[in-house]
Amino acid sequence: MTAIEHVAPPAWRETVARALVEGQRFAGAWAGGRDGSLTWRALLVSQHGQRVISCPASDGPVESIIELAEAAAWDEREAHDLYGLEFSGHAPLRALVAHTDDPAQWMTPVSGEGVHQVAVGPIHAGVIESGHFRFHVVGERILAVDPRLFYKHRGLERAAEGHDSDGALLYAQRACAACAVANTLAYAHAVENARGLKPDRELRIARTVLLELERLYNHLHDIGAICAGVGFAPGSMAFAALKDRAQQINQRAFGHRFLFGTVRVGHGGLALDASSTDAARRALRELHADTAAAWRELEFAGSMQARLDGVGVLALADAQRLGAVGPAARAAGIREDVRMASPRLAYDGFTLASPPTANGDVASRLNMRALELEGTYEILDDLLQQPLAPGATAGVGTAGTLGVGIVESPRGGTTCAVELDRARVARLHLRTASYANWPALAFAAAGNLLPDFPLINKSFELCYACVDR
Amino acid sequence: MFILLRQLATIRRDAHLSRGRPRSLALRHVDAGSCNGCEHELGAVSNPFHDIQRHGLDIVASPRHADILLVTGPVTTRMVGPLLTAYQAMPEPRVVAALGDCALGCNVLGDPTDVVGALEDVLSVDIRIPGCPPTPDAIAEHLLAALARS
Repeated sequence: MTAIEHVAPPAWRETVARALVEGQRFAGAWAGGRDGSLTWRALLVSQHGQRVISCPASDGPVESIIELAEAAAWDEREAHDLYGLEFSGHAPLRALVAHTDDPAQWMTPVSGEGVHQVAVGPIHAGVIESGHFRFHVVGERILAVDPRLFYKHRGLERAAEGHDSDGALLYAQRACAACAVANTLAYAHAVENARGLKPDRELRIARTVLLELERLYNHLHDIGAICAGVGFAPGSMAFAALKDRAQQINQRAFGHRFLFGTVRVGHGGLALDASSTDAARRALRELHADTAAAWRELEFAGSMQARLDGVGVLALADAQRLGAVGPAARAAGIREDVRMASPRLAYDGFTLASPPTANGDVASRLNMRALELEGTYEILDDLLQQPLAPGATAGVGTAGTLGVGIVESPRGGTTCAVELDRARVARLHLRTASYANWPALAFAAAGNLLPDFPLINKSFELCYACVDR
Repeated sequence: MFILLRQLATIRRDAHLSRGRPRSLALRHVDAGSCNGCEHELGAVSNPFHDIQRHGLDIVASPRHADILLVTGPVTTRMVGPLLTAYQAMPEPRVVAALGDCALGCNVLGDPTDVVGALEDVLSVDIRIPGCPPTPDAIAEHLLAALARS
């Protein structure tokens, strides 16, 4: 279980401030409860572990912490829209999930000589998720962009409440196809954490294989998407084919191209005999060789490389300030990866990929993915040397009502908090890597040319579905 | 670049794809609240393994150019307006396709206050493509059947 540290509202801000000074990092906050008994909880993480602090939120505004941790801005706006929480010191508290007709409710006011707006979406020209971008531009230059998401808000967290832990798992999975393993694994870890369960070695290995297979097809997809972002069709098509081959491996080994239904709570759901792991390993080695050949070609494709340097820069200080995670954060020089400390998974001896340059631009984010693919191929080759057994968990800790799970999704650290009421899920909160990174993407786009936005967007390649939930 | 093109040529040769028949349908996709799985697979029907364009099926940028409105996901309260706007912008005759189990209303959809329901509750549906998500093969098969009927 994860203990809840209760603090009174006047001590809330001070407690968070002290934690940040001590080197803990803000990793998400969520409202819960009903009218009259609302709570506001924050997760703080460090190398030494994680802690959850909680304060009652029914009696007037809670002090905002955005001046201490800017990464909390979206969490506070969401809590206001969905639970009616008020925050003092967060002004203007702009709408995030709630969609009102009045643009002043959600837009940054931008004015000046020659400033005009360009509205894009929610329906885009390609096969893309729904979301709206409001660009404030002078000529071709972006001054600021307001991403207006949550068009796809399905109330999945609320719908999961009241289900048992297996039932709620389906809602966690439904949040996003491309992050299905990461999201359900964060959820399973959270429930197992709450119940004091630890996975055995077999389960840790099987889950690590799933998580890396998900990273594999996503990173291949993202490299292809960046090629599409500059209109380099041969690269886009070659990596689309490599991605499809990775998904065909998923289909053959686990029966689903997106690995749906492979993560269970408390135990494993799959087994692979020696001939299946051998076949998967052989197919992955072939894919690895072809990926390396295709990547070498991209490195020498001058018309593509000329578009990447210095575009969409997210500097180290800004990445830290905005709480960026994953390849985007590492491409800016942040040396963090949840896999470095994942005792619930089989990442023994994991070393962080070190890029030769980490400028925080599109080129760095692209190169970071290619570098991480090497690590993923190595991990899979190592773990698939033996057959996979389903595995199980055993009770070694104290059972409680709150559990937290953090895993490294293809896009970065994804957090799930689960509050249990006996066998039922009372609250499920999923804060995905995409959620953490959207403000950083919007920040990185400012100052660039409007026609470069699709490229900058693709270099982050964030999901809308698992932000909107 | 040449190695990339050679990889692509090898895939095309090994896939033994036929040339298709000389007819065409233009598709416009609207994500009404999906998990992005159907989008990934709809993208995959254009990859070198499937290459749906060779049958005369193309995904177009505007509903004004489209014959088929291809809708994914359950319809959320925030997407029902844009979805209907896209439908009304289409020239007639027009066809509506529900892509995936969510659009067909037979999946874990979400909370009733945020989800209007299945696509059928909003527009009359002509083509149903089941699956969670439907594989690129299944998508191509259903669309080609529609093309044969058209």
